[in-house]
Amino acid sequence: MDHTLQNTHVKLLAFDLLSLTPTPDPATFSRSGKLLSRAEIVGTITSRDHKPSKFIKFTVDDGTGCVPCVLWLNHLTSLYLPRRDPSTVRLIAGVATDFAAKIKIGLVARVRGRIASYRGDVQIMASDVVIERDPNMEVLHWLDCLRLARKRYDVVVNKS
Amino acid sequence: MASSAIKSGALVNLTELHPSSQFYEEGASLRVTGKLQDYAVEAAMAIIADGNAILKIDTQHLRDLSFRVGSIYQFIGELHIQADCEAILQARVGRNVDGLDLNLYRQSLQLLRQFQADRMNNTVT
Repeated sequence: MDHTLQNTHVKLLAFDLLSLTPTPDPATFSRSGKLLSRAEIVGTITSRDHKPSKFIKFTVDDGTGCVPCVLWLNHLTSLYLPRRDPSTVRLIAGVATDFAAKIKIGLVARVRGRIASYRGDVQIMASDVVIERDPNMEVLHWLDCLRLARKRYDVVVNKS
Repeated sequence: MASSAIKSGALVNLTELHPSSQFYEEGASLRVTGKLQDYAVEAAMAIIADGNAILKIDTQHLRDLSFRVGSIYQFIGELHIQADCEAILQARVGRNVDGLDLNLYRQSLQLLRQFQADRMNNTVT
């Protein structure tokens, strides 16, 4: 398996992301012989479920599929961040809260995060959310996905 | 949250929405783009156009969107075909997309569809 894309946010269309193959490692997925763990998607926010201080779940529709996303907001109460410096945890929590406030139905968002599986469905655990105001950015993302697939993601590297 | 509850709006040009089209189906989730030709406030009904093709959009469920005739809008919603065979899109999402390069959009949409078809074919084989 090719690991060279494992630590980058691969730009994928929704239908491509949603058809990734799980691996024994829950943090990695495979696509055309390459292992992926992070992705970047761009699309219209079509649903939103906000539980303050817990999470915000939202879907991103790019015209090829709907990607479920989750942004965790429970940093200040999470048992998984006890070793982090408290000021760092507060900073991370503040950034996540700011992201959550920007997520509104109808807006176009660029979402980066870890690829995960929840109840058998692929989703994104968001780490960055940017609202795209320029209507051409969604089209640019399509073209980026096509170009990167052709030039990088779908290229089979023969090890000699 | 059940992701399957939210259907993706299939990208379609207004010129492709005619009775013999694969997209012309009751309940089909679509994403359409067009210039606002008319807007009836009382009925919350918009008419968008792309070339000679027009489509009625029911905007009653949309919030925080102002309508300006001549601007370009994009809507995601479900197609309803009435008894008189007239199609109306019940929009659940809408946005002003003034500044969108429509030629680039149309060309990119064709590339996108080709890519998607190629991926599907490779997956099957």
